[in-house]
Amino acid sequence: MTDGDTLPSGAATGLRTRFAGFVAPGLPHDRSNRLARALGLRPAERPAEGPAEGPAGSGALALLLTDGGAAEADSLWLPPVAAWVEPAASDEDGRGVAALLAEASGTDLYVNLTTATAHDLQLGGRLLAAIGARHPLSGHRRDDIELALHEAVSNALVHGNLGVSGMKELSAQELERFSRDLGDGLADPVLAARRIAIAVRIDPPQTAPAGHGPGPAGSRPEDAPENGRALATVEITDQGAGFVPRRPERAGASGRGLDLIGSIADGLEIEDGGRRIRLRFRL
Amino acid sequence: MDYGIEVRDQEAVVRLRGRLTFNDHAKLRALIGEMGQNKPRRQVLDLSSLEFVDSAGIGMLLIAREEMDRADKQFVLRAAAGQVKRVLTVAQIAKIVPIED
Repeated sequence: MTDGDTLPSGAATGLRTRFAGFVAPGLPHDRSNRLARALGLRPAERPAEGPAEGPAGSGALALLLTDGGAAEADSLWLPPVAAWVEPAASDEDGRGVAALLAEASGTDLYVNLTTATAHDLQLGGRLLAAIGARHPLSGHRRDDIELALHEAVSNALVHGNLGVSGMKELSAQELERFSRDLGDGLADPVLAARRIAIAVRIDPPQTAPAGHGPGPAGSRPEDAPENGRALATVEITDQGAGFVPRRPERAGASGRGLDLIGSIADGLEIEDGGRRIRLRFRL
Repeated sequence: MDYGIEVRDQEAVVRLRGRLTFNDHAKLRALIGEMGQNKPRRQVLDLSSLEFVDSAGIGMLLIAREEMDRADKQFVLRAAAGQVKRVLTVAQIAKIVPIED
């Protein structure tokens, strides 16, 4: 069901985020205005430093960006910003962005960027900040979740979208080969334009018995928070060739990432031939 | 990530700072070259100022260790803390590389 441009990332789970506007710090004014008309949203002022008042999901903003530099400021990864979306160069009428924001409205946090843009951002740490602003995280758990997110994003970008294989032998030549392949991939306009999509849903702890609580419409039983702890579900989708998970070869320089993710996440599913990974974290 | 090297009589101490991730491949290549060229046989990587390491970063440290082996040099990791210490433990790197406090 992946159709290239919009990367639907799993079952719809009802409306979670209602966007009140968007910020587009790097976009030319006329393009920003055209997008505003297409989206039926107003361009908003850039949010001030520090998190906004009010419940999550109300008055949410989408950040539209065309390069990593436009999303450098830490405040752009905190509420009220809840989506980070890169319009395709060819998306003049804004229909592509509208489809991505429709997808985003079914999530709590949503990212859809080209590989070139995502590579410039430390997305693992950015996502962690965005999640941490909605749900407090303690020291070790914070570090661990950041690592798992960083590993999953890196896998999607490097091995998925750019098609660069991991460092197998322990040699400087192999490091050089990795370096060269990564540079070549980023310089290839087709590979660099491939998308990474990240959908995050955060479900509060549920005290009612499973199935009787006022859960979000359409949520699946396995999404139900347990043990009185909130649950974050993170789906990361790429447009690469996919992969078949197998036992890592302990002798190589690569292959530890998925193991580390598995040791941190409370759930790990790989779908769509390896193009989508779904992680669950009890918060 | 960036680094500084202090060459002493008995050992070279390389202090890594910041975040060591897959994106630091070029710096690690340069660092491995410098460690191979400098005089002391013992090469110590001081990790006390390193804030974050990922699996590719660990892979690159293992490559550095292998290259020092080839150059008949000793390679030691020292003073890992916080997230870095946790990841080195989880990935069981102490089985492969000597880690000093």
